[in-house]
Formats: sequence, C-alpha cells, structure tokens
Amino acid sequence: MAVRTADSRTSMIDVEDLVYEYPASRALSGVSLHVAAGTITALVGPNGAGKTTLLRCLAALDDPFSGRVSIDGLDTVASPREIHARLGYLPDFYGLYDELSVRRCLTYAALAHGIASGLTAAAVEKAAQRVGLLDRLETRAGELSRGSRQRLAIGQSIVHEPKVLLLDEPAAGLDPQARRDLSTLLLQLRDAGMTLLVSSHILAELEDYCSEMIIIEGGRIAGGKAIKVRDDGRPRYLIELATARSDLRDFLAARGAEVADADQIHAVILFTRNPGARAKLLRELIAAGFEVASFGESTKALEDAYFAQVGRS
Amino acid sequence: MNPEFARNLWLELTPRRVVLMLAILGLIFAASAIGGGGAEPAETATWIYYLIVVVWGARSAALSVVGEIRERTWDGQRLSALGAATMVWGKLFGATIYNWLGGLICLGPMLVNLVAKDGIATAGIEICFYIGLGVIAQSAALLASLIAINRRSRHTQLGIALYQSFGIAAAVAAYLVWNVADPQTLLRGHLVVVDVIAWWGVSLDAKLFLLLSLIVFAAWLLVGCVRTMRVELKQPNGPFVWLGFLAFMGIYVAGFDAWLSPDLKGWDAVSLRLLLAGTTFVALTYVMVLLEPKDRVLYRWMGEQALGGRIGRALGAFQCWMMSYVAAALVTAALCFSLTHDAHAAAGQALALATLGFLTRDTAIFVLMQTLPGRRRGDWRAIAILFALYLLIPAIVSGMSGQGAMVLFYPQAQTPSWLGAGAAWVEGLLVAVLATTRLALSGSAGRRVAV
Repeated sequence: MAVRTADSRTSMIDVEDLVYEYPASRALSGVSLHVAAGTITALVGPNGAGKTTLLRCLAALDDPFSGRVSIDGLDTVASPREIHARLGYLPDFYGLYDELSVRRCLTYAALAHGIASGLTAAAVEKAAQRVGLLDRLETRAGELSRGSRQRLAIGQSIVHEPKVLLLDEPAAGLDPQARRDLSTLLLQLRDAGMTLLVSSHILAELEDYCSEMIIIEGGRIAGGKAIKVRDDGRPRYLIELATARSDLRDFLAARGAEVADADQIHAVILFTRNPGARAKLLRELIAAGFEVASFGESTKALEDAYFAQVGRS
Repeated sequence: MNPEFARNLWLELTPRRVVLMLAILGLIFAASAIGGGGAEPAETATWIYYLIVVVWGARSAALSVVGEIRERTWDGQRLSALGAATMVWGKLFGATIYNWLGGLICLGPMLVNLVAKDGIATAGIEICFYIGLGVIAQSAALLASLIAINRRSRHTQLGIALYQSFGIAAAVAAYLVWNVADPQTLLRGHLVVVDVIAWWGVSLDAKLFLLLSLIVFAAWLLVGCVRTMRVELKQPNGPFVWLGFLAFMGIYVAGFDAWLSPDLKGWDAVSLRLLLAGTTFVALTYVMVLLEPKDRVLYRWMGEQALGGRIGRALGAFQCWMMSYVAAALVTAALCFSLTHDAHAAAGQALALATLGFLTRDTAIFVLMQTLPGRRRGDWRAIAILFALYLLIPAIVSGMSGQGAMVLFYPQAQTPSWLGAGAAWVEGLLVAVLATTRLALSGSAGRRVAV
C-alpha cells in the first residue's frame, strides 16, 4: 500500500515498490510513497531504519534493486542528471570548502548547478539572504559557527532553486536557537514552493515545521500510510476525559472533527481553529455527558502521531 | 570558465602559496647557479620538474576526488550539473594547478638550455614531451583513484600512495618509450634503440610509431578517466567505448606478429594475429576482473533481468571484464577454426581451449571470493588462491614427480593435449556454478536480513 501525503495536491515524489539491497542485506523492502508538492514531510524512524538509503535513492545517488522512484515525473534510473538539476540534497554528514568564503562556496554551487555566470551573483545573494548569511559573505566557511555552517550547506543546496529539497538529519547537533532558525528557514522554503522531505530520528526537531509524517522501520513503511500532523487551518487538539466513554470517537466524528486517534479516554482530532466552533464542540461534549478534563491544541502532534502509529503497527 | 577548475584555482593559487613557490624555486635555482655543486640550473630544473609535476602532481591528481570523499563534499559534486568530461579536466588541471605553476617555472631554464643546445624546434618538441609526461602521470593517478572509488575502497594513505605510484609508473613507461624512439637522450646508452618497427607486415619508422602510440594510449587514459567519472555521476556508459578499446587493442597487438617466437612460425599469419589478439583479451579480462567492483547486488540484478527475459537490460549492465571475456572466447573460437588448416592443429586448439577454461575458472574465483564474508578482502583471497594454483601447488606436485598432473594447473602444450583442455573446463565450470549458486543464495539471505 502506497503512502500518500496531502492527497489534494500534485505529487512531487513517487516511489513504487522500492527495493534496495546491500551485498549482505536488504535495506528497503517494497517501499511505496507519494509526497505532495509544496509540503514538508518528515521521514522518521529509528537509527538503521533505512532513512538515509531511501533519501539517497530519491536523490538518484544510488540505484534501486527494483521498483521505481520518480521526482517531478522523472525516473531516477533513466534520468538521474535531470533529477539532480531539480533537487537539493543535504546529507547527514556534509562537508564545506572551509578555505573558501561564503560567497565563493555559493558561487561555486551556483556555477556547478548550471546557473549562467551573468546570473550567479544574484543567485548567490538570494540564497545568502534566504539562509541569513548575507552579512557573512566574505567570511571563510571554516570560521562559521555550526548553525551557520548548516545554513551555508542548505544555501548551497538551494542556490539553483530546486523543486525538491531532501534533508538528512538537518538539526543534528544544533543549539535551540539554531534549530528555531532552521525551522523558520524550512517553512520559508516551503512557502516559496519547494517540496521538502526531512529525515530525523528525533521527533522534537521536526515538530515545528512538518505537516506530514512517514514512518520507516526495518526498511518498510510502518502503518502503510502517511500521517497528517499539521494543518494550520485545522490544528490537532487533544481531548482528555475524566471517565471513559466508548462512543467518544463516533461523537466527535459526527460533529465534523477528523479523528486522528482515539480511545475511550483520549482523542486527537483535527478541527477548525475557529474559536466559536471549538466552544460549540466543547459545549456539546459536556451537554452529552462527557466529563471533559482537558481540551487543548496538541503541542506534540508529531510525537503523538508517531507513537500512536508505531504502537499499533 | 569550468566551475570545478575555478574552484580549484581559488583553493590552490592563493597569493601566499604562489609567493612561497616562487621564493623556494628562486632560491634553489640561485643556489644551483651560484653555489655550483656540479649541477647546472637546467639540470636542477629538470629534476625539480619531475618532482613537482610528476611525483607530487600525481598525488594531487589522486587526491582530487579522494579528497572530496574525505571532506564529504563528493555527493554535492555528484549532484551538480557538471558533465564527466568537464569534471575530469576541471580536476585534472585544477587540482594540480599549483604543481603546474612550479613546473612552468622550471620549464623556463629548461627551455633556455634546450634552445641553446638543440635549436628552437627540437626544444619545442622536448618541452611538449615534458608537459605530456606530467599529464600522463596525473591522469593515470586520477584514473587509479577513480577506479578505487568505483570499487568503494577505503582511501588510506597507503591507497593514495598506490594511486600516485600508478601515475609515476605510467610516466616512467612513457619516458622509456620516448627514449627508445629518441636516441638523443641521456639514457641512450642503457636502452635498446630501434630504428624500424614491423607492424602488420609493414616497416615503420620507430620514432614516429612509438610517439603516435604514446599519444593514442594517453588519449585512452583520458577516455578511461571520463568513463569512470561517468559512473560516479550516474551517466550510463554503455558498452561501445570498451568494445572500441578492445577492438583497438586487438588490432594494435595483432600487428606485432613478426615479433613472435620462431617456434610458432608454422602457424599462418592469421592464426598468429588471432593468438596475439586473444592473448590481449585474456590479459585485459584478468586486469579488469581485478579492477572492477564485483558487486553481488549487480550480479543478482543481472540474473533477475535475464531470468525475466529482459536480456537487453542485463547485457547493458555487462562489465568490462565480461565483455573482454566474451571477446577472448570469440577469438579463441576463431583461432581454433583458423588452425584447422595447420598440420598440428589439435595441439594448438587444445592449448587455446585450455587457456579459455582456466580463464573461466580464474574469473569465477574472483566472483566467488566476493560472495564470502569480508568482501573487501575478496580480491586478495582470489589472488592468494591463484598464486597457490599457478605456483605453489604445481611446485609441490612437480617435486613429487607428478608432471602429468600439471594439466590441472595451467595450459600445457604436451600431449595428451585434450586432457588439459578438459581438465581446465571442468574446473572452470565447477567454480562458475559454485559462484553462481553462492550469488543466488546470498540474495536469498539478503532478503531475510532486516536492517
């Protein structure tokens, strides 16, 4: 069963029954997924689950044993170089040319991605501005802080305005401020029209910016579907009851709430942000005899969704 | 400008490094000119040129990609829009630009000396040779490093020294060929100098022939660099360039039939040329099966494609050693047919078939060793087995007066001739079946292992 994110939008990444083998083991076993354009999708799973292998297949750096991977409609085996022109990829362990200035690092990335020399300066300034390094253009890469190095690496990956940006553990080792800056940057890139797939095994770092989540475990997609974890128009709310009620799920569904997960005590729902509508739902719950202990926006939407999914699968 | 070349210029030619190179070479030349010590500045410059451009330059070229892997910037380069040829020349001349700066400074006094000694025309040719020597050394080192990268080898200091040595060895070979063709050299007293070379029955001027050969082989070296770079950049190579190289090598070597031992003069010219071409293909099969990555996953994939009826896709993934093996087999068949006109046909045919049988066994051993745990050591294990099969065990058997058993170890010209061919093919097919079975089983095991 294929994992599909944000069904209403055009699919940017399509993976069908992907198998990847190392000489002594199978790293990916029949992975199928679709990632909608203009989304930030989290690729989560424990260490060794196959996240990096999957990203490298998506980046057309490694060929699948069988199955099909396409990016923006192009097959990774048939047209790898065309795909390279359409995507940016930040590996988990990336390197920079420490002896070069930020400007030269970005200039090289722009020229190497085929940007005409007359347009390079503008592309470099735009990328530097996006990643917040406009005032550090003459600084050597080796003199940058860890967070700034991360931003420079992302700047190199986006200088050619890719349609797809793949990030492998981008927040690893960053301090809280740098992580917040990274979240802001990724949201800006999504708003600029890019499709982002971000892998991590630390859920907290994905919480701020991912709208969908794909869980990979042991080379397979857990649960067989993507999980919608964020919708700014329909945030996730956590409802907790003091007394168990078996009809909690049905009651909420009947009132227009999209129930992401529910048992007799708890429910995680996607519901309109409109205060009046929320007040009305709360009133109806109480009027129907539900002993509501709490009703609030979930601050750990992704983590809740992950453990709900992994716990079931 | 080539972006890769430009980036290397930024990194390599910093003002501080340029001043350092100028200062050190200036001091060396001044010491040579003023201080004496028996060395002329031109002679000193020549030795420094070899040191900077050939020895150090080969290392710089070897590090041009290996350094990117070590610094974790290689994936970024693989994802760039640069083509393989652009990447190769950007690295070949960019990563070595500092060496070329030093080399060009050395060429100054060398040129002045050569013009004064031999005139401007000869000096120009000599300078071209020195530059060519540097390019050959550096491109050979780059090719060695790219082959190692394709093999996913670990790039230790020893490995880098090996790639560098490959470049230096290529330069030494080119130097020797040049000196054979050009008697006006320092080494003429130590080399066999020939005036005429017989090739395809035609007598050719040795100097011209060897120089042309040098140029053509240097061009193939660069083609090899581009092809191996294409593999890294996910640009499909297709079989035609390697098939073209095989055809070139077959034709080139077959032309030297006049050089063969008089013992074989009973054979006609066609058979002799087929023998030379076939031997070349056998040698290339051994070289390539050693150099190319023997990827179990690729072989399983090829097997699945073939079993699924997608023969074209499986053939498209043929490695160079496989194509060389097929070429060797075809030429062996042609040789056997050609020898039917010979009075002693059976002995020659059996010898050719035995050679092909042992080639089958040996290539299968290389593949089989990759299916065992610790695949990084697979080639060393295969070499050790072949060493035992060709040298150690025959020496023991021979010591025990078991001459008759020698047919089990390598091709024998003595009768009964067909026994040797039969033994070689039985061994070859047994190892091939074993290797294929191991590959299939390792695929089944892989499917059971969760990462």
